[in-house]
Amino acid sequence: MSSLPGTTTTTSTRGTAPEVVIRTDGLIKDYVTGSRFRERGAVRALDGLDLEIHRGEVFGFLGPNGAGKSTMIRVLLDQLRPTAGHAEVLGVTPQRGGPGLRARIGYLPGELTMGGRSTAGDLLAHLARVRGGVGTDRIRPLAERLTLDLDKPIRGLSKGNKQKVGVVQAFMHRPELLILDEPTSGLDPLLQHEFLAMVREAQQDGATVFMSSHVLSEVELVAERVAIIRQGRIVDLDDVATLRHHAGQQVELAFAEPVDAEPFRGLPGVEDLEVDGAQLRCLLRGEPDALLKVAARHRVVRWSAEDRELEDLFLDFYRVPVRDDEEVAHHGH
Amino acid sequence: MATDTPTRSARSGDAGVLPRRRGLAVTSWVLRQQRRAVVGWSVALAAVCALYVGFYPAIGDQDMAQLVEGMPDALVQALGYEGIDTAPGYLESTIFSLLGPALLLVFAIGFGARVLAGEEEDGKLELELTLPVDRRRVLLERFLAMVVQLLVLAGVMIATVVSMVLALDMDVMVANIVAATLGLFLFVLAMGTLSLGAGASTGRKAIGLVAGAGVAVASYMAHALAPLIEGGGWLENASPFAWYLGGEPLTEGVHWAGFGGLVAITAVTLAVALPVFARRDLGV
Repeated sequence: MSSLPGTTTTTSTRGTAPEVVIRTDGLIKDYVTGSRFRERGAVRALDGLDLEIHRGEVFGFLGPNGAGKSTMIRVLLDQLRPTAGHAEVLGVTPQRGGPGLRARIGYLPGELTMGGRSTAGDLLAHLARVRGGVGTDRIRPLAERLTLDLDKPIRGLSKGNKQKVGVVQAFMHRPELLILDEPTSGLDPLLQHEFLAMVREAQQDGATVFMSSHVLSEVELVAERVAIIRQGRIVDLDDVATLRHHAGQQVELAFAEPVDAEPFRGLPGVEDLEVDGAQLRCLLRGEPDALLKVAARHRVVRWSAEDRELEDLFLDFYRVPVRDDEEVAHHGH
Repeated sequence: MATDTPTRSARSGDAGVLPRRRGLAVTSWVLRQQRRAVVGWSVALAAVCALYVGFYPAIGDQDMAQLVEGMPDALVQALGYEGIDTAPGYLESTIFSLLGPALLLVFAIGFGARVLAGEEEDGKLELELTLPVDRRRVLLERFLAMVVQLLVLAGVMIATVVSMVLALDMDVMVANIVAATLGLFLFVLAMGTLSLGAGASTGRKAIGLVAGAGVAVASYMAHALAPLIEGGGWLENASPFAWYLGGEPLTEGVHWAGFGGLVAITAVTLAVALPVFARRDLGV
């Protein structure tokens, strides 16, 4: 029963659940703060996190800084041990899986710290050597693809170049599971594009990709499903299109003369309407059709519609208390 | 169905297969990073040893004897200058009880605290610990890097002192110089391992430094003050520094019990630190 490359996810028989690559059940992680000598307290970084990521998907893990993204990832890599709850990666807990499990994972840390006189090439060769030599042959082609100079000392590399070193070491051994923490930070737009192409290719080879970010635009081009984490909890889990729909667009219209706000009020998808003389601003979710038809009664001299960023979405979540299931259902298709 | 493309689904059958043929990748990496440092310390150590042994003919046995005569007995005892008017006594008072330990301790304690806890605090250890390598192995390979470097420095010390002693025709047995340096190596290794182990157990470089330096200084003080205190024999017995130098290795050769005790400190420290490091949260 061997399967063709890239068909792992689709060959599963209809009706059977897809293979779960990452699963967490009620994952809780507390950090102890203070010291022995001062008053001790605990900060709850993960507060009952439930997540399932399926084989072959690209999964986006979104949240503001400090929401618990890196904590979650570091539990998956057995750097941190859960306070309570359960985590499983490729069918085994990170602690039990140990080095054998980590051999199957490629990891790009969110804050990559490297230094020393060695060159980038030396460091990558060293990392491959600890992996038993797996991936050594891919260092040069990957470096060329990302335009990384392997002969430069790591100490002198820019943030972007260090990030390239991180990307190469995460991909070089063709891991089954890629865990990428804020992967495109520090990469210029051209390289971001190249990086996303690498993610897609890895997916086509059958890899599962779990990538975190605090910007929606970073993951929406490659991810199918996205979870939003806030204060250690998943507050939303959706496919990217739905999330984008929910995020909506910030629309601005400028008319030739002042307009009346009334006809715009209550149009489908129009929220937070503000009309100030000849200026109209609103938040638009869904199709712009109704809004445009009403606007077209006047002479429109300027228009702009910007996708809202995730930060705005978080603001929504903070503004409206989340009602668990209802919230997800509310903006589902 | 045959295909040339390596697929991940096919490779997932390798579940749990650990990399083979990687040798001591971590040790050799750390040593490469340390190359310059080891060369620097070797030069410094050789210079200090050569300089002090070189003073011996200039000062001469007679001058030393006079110097000591003019000093209060307690001070002579505290400084370990009782035998300074002999060649072994001179070597012990200068190089083996003071400058050698001081230089090597600074190196070993600094390295021990930095190579694990320090790199963890800086975030430099994160990548390595997410590779398919057991945490305990990471700790042991980094310990091994310390052993290798201290062996190099001990070798430099032996080479310098022995060649000076032979050149100046001093009355010290070469075998005893080797024995004393072995003792020094074991003492310094024990203190460096305390640093490494305390750092690895807590993730705090500062705690590693305090543990290594604290025990080293306390054991030196205990050895120095024990003769001055009535009934201070237990202090001497409890001092790892005395286990190294109390048996007068420069005249008596290897002091097996003492040296064994130093090895035991290293072994016990590792035995305690390994499981703690394997169990705790990293980098928090």
